[in-house]
Amino acid sequence: MRASASQLWPEVAPDWILNGPDWLNSLGYDIYKSFVFDDRYMMYVNGLRNTLVLTFFALLIGIALGVVVSLIRVSWDKNHDEMHGPVKVVMAVLNVVSKVYLTVIRGTPVVVQLMIMYFVIFASSRNKILVGALSFGINSGAYVAEIIRGGIMSIDQGQMEAGRSLGFGYVSTMRYIILPQAFKTVLPTLANEFIVLLKETAVAGYVGLADVTYAGNIVGGNTYDYLFPLLMSALIYLVLVMFFTYLVGKLERRLRNSER
Amino acid sequence: MSDKYIIEAKDLKKYYNGDSIKALDGVSASIQQGEVVVVIGPSGSGKSTFLRCLNLLEVPTSGQVLFEGADITDKNADINLHRQKMGMVFQHFNLFPHMTILKNMTLAPMKLLKKPQKEAEEQAMALLERVGLADRAKAYPSQLSGGQKQRIAIVRALCMDPEVMLFDEPTSALDPEMVGEVLEVMKELARDGMTMVVVTHEMGFAKEVADRVIFMADGKIVEEGTPDEIFTAPKQPRTKDFLAKVL
Repeated sequence: MRASASQLWPEVAPDWILNGPDWLNSLGYDIYKSFVFDDRYMMYVNGLRNTLVLTFFALLIGIALGVVVSLIRVSWDKNHDEMHGPVKVVMAVLNVVSKVYLTVIRGTPVVVQLMIMYFVIFASSRNKILVGALSFGINSGAYVAEIIRGGIMSIDQGQMEAGRSLGFGYVSTMRYIILPQAFKTVLPTLANEFIVLLKETAVAGYVGLADVTYAGNIVGGNTYDYLFPLLMSALIYLVLVMFFTYLVGKLERRLRNSER
Repeated sequence: MSDKYIIEAKDLKKYYNGDSIKALDGVSASIQQGEVVVVIGPSGSGKSTFLRCLNLLEVPTSGQVLFEGADITDKNADINLHRQKMGMVFQHFNLFPHMTILKNMTLAPMKLLKKPQKEAEEQAMALLERVGLADRAKAYPSQLSGGQKQRIAIVRALCMDPEVMLFDEPTSALDPEMVGEVLEVMKELARDGMTMVVVTHEMGFAKEVADRVIFMADGKIVEEGTPDEIFTAPKQPRTKDFLAKVL
């Protein structure tokens, strides 16, 4: 039979806490049982790792999907009059698929999407990180698509004409001339979408994915005291978000300084 | 001047909104190698639309454009390949703001003509030298004045070694004191024998440089001839009316 936190506490606690005032003793014990006993800090460390991995891959999937969907939507909206034959049919289908995707994903909660993915579509897979990254990536892609579409549409039509008049095709003009400018315009917004995504992954615990929120929840459940575990989860998110906000701010300043 | 036609436009029509707006209503024109053709006319006369139809930035509702004998309005024609040989200069310059001047000029030659970077940059620098902007090669477009931007836009098009240059009101967006420097570059280009089609409101330029002046109104060519014929002895009342207002 293993010793419990309350049994171990008098042995491990420094004398000056143990013999100190009651509030100090109980604070010390709360912190001990929430983070130290049974190596519980590893729950948060692993949770942090899972949250970061999940967010990172969701971000990659989201940007890839977002670029593709936004390009389909923009190309169709601007050029469908000039398309012919099979190209037009394919693009029409892709455009409808994109529109349905945007409507469904933006019209339903990400938790529900995640649960459908994990318990229904990938019911046979136990790889929570993979299914999670896919779910959050597909969700984020819809928002990224609209952000990038806005960026592309904000670029003056003359840029496309200039590219085409030099002999670039539509795709090359997009690649060399329109998209680099559009990305620059939407970079701060994209960075914010990334911060939102980071916090949204907090619902990953619904499918038992052990992220930062899940760690706080489990430890709180084990100790019957949620205060410090949940404060720790919140603190980890806060520090991450503050750090990324700082990076975004730096990025924005750099973009403003170059060229203008 | 040979009498080989480099561009032939045949009965170009451009309708918008079904056929309620007729921007071009049957325009035919032929441009010879080395010829400088200036298109004038009131705003809304279709002169810009006509110019933009020549490289299919505007797709005509009907009619044909032959470039070096090839029908580029044909669905199977590779318009991108033809456009490489038709330089275009826009009213609003349309330089690429995210690239340096040098990159603006070398992008197309490197990507489309597969020129090595060194060769493309040497050519670009030589052209910059010619328009007196070699010291701005590393600058970004936003750091230049309007006149400088338009001179860059002209040499950017020249980097593709085009057979013909199309100018769409190249001085209309410029402050008056910058018009001269751009026209000077265009005059030099004309002296060097470049085939040019210029839509402009600069009657002085038309008189001095044009081999032929085309006057357009209401989507049609009303009158064409040498600058002398058009400016000193216009035959059509519509032309007389227009010139009386602008001269």
